[in-house]
Amino acid sequence: MARLQSLSDAPGTSREYETVYILRPNTANDGVAEINTKVKGIIEGMGGKILKVDNWGKRRLAYEVAKERKGIYLYWRYLATAGVVEETERNLRMLDLVIRFMTVRLDDSVDAEARPSEIDDGAYERAATTAADEEDMFLARGDAAPADDDDEFENPVAEAPPGTEAN
Amino acid sequence: MSRTDDDIDDKSDDRRGGKGGRGGGGGGGLNRRKVCRFCAEATTLIDYKNPQLLRSFVTDRGKMVPRRISGSCARHQRAISTAVRRARMLALLPITVGGE
Repeated sequence: MARLQSLSDAPGTSREYETVYILRPNTANDGVAEINTKVKGIIEGMGGKILKVDNWGKRRLAYEVAKERKGIYLYWRYLATAGVVEETERNLRMLDLVIRFMTVRLDDSVDAEARPSEIDDGAYERAATTAADEEDMFLARGDAAPADDDDEFENPVAEAPPGTEAN
Repeated sequence: MSRTDDDIDDKSDDRRGGKGGRGGGGGGGLNRRKVCRFCAEATTLIDYKNPQLLRSFVTDRGKMVPRRISGSCARHQRAISTAVRRARMLALLPITVGGE
């Protein structure tokens, strides 16, 4: 596992990355939380520092991805060293709920101590909560709604108690 | 940098004059000089996470608007192109809008 260290990276510093991944629209909050915990474990386990976690909610995709028209977007910004991104992406690739992911390098040679983290107590909890999108709310109100998204249809606006939704 | 900008300005003005001076300067119209939007307001950042902004640099069919139309400078056009490609990857922007 010996890696060739990059000569352009100043020793003792990290790189700043951001990763966005898209989950299937019917992923329950539990499922989102599970994947987030996994990603968090990988980044922190390999000595990275998470700066921000954000759930952009359920969005309409501009084109069909893995037969889905919508997706739940998760956004992570973190400091990491060599190999963390590979490991994270390798894991995301294995998860069936993840339909797309992308990592972008934002900054080189960052001092990990000097960069404040925006993570607070509720950050991961909030990231696991997908807000119901407008269309779902609309469908939940009307009677003649198309029945393609069954589970969202049953738990429309109000927060479903955890564990009730089938994964 | 501003010096080269001025140079370019002068040159294009010359060329315009040489064409026969059809530009009467009657408020906009043919010879209105386009300014790169991101140079004009430096606070607007080009980001693939902002599809609303990028939409104005993409045609209805999803193709990128060329520099000669949008007036972007080379540096910012490059940034826009990177951002559009990233946004397409994440399905924030369409790759193409097909005619069905």
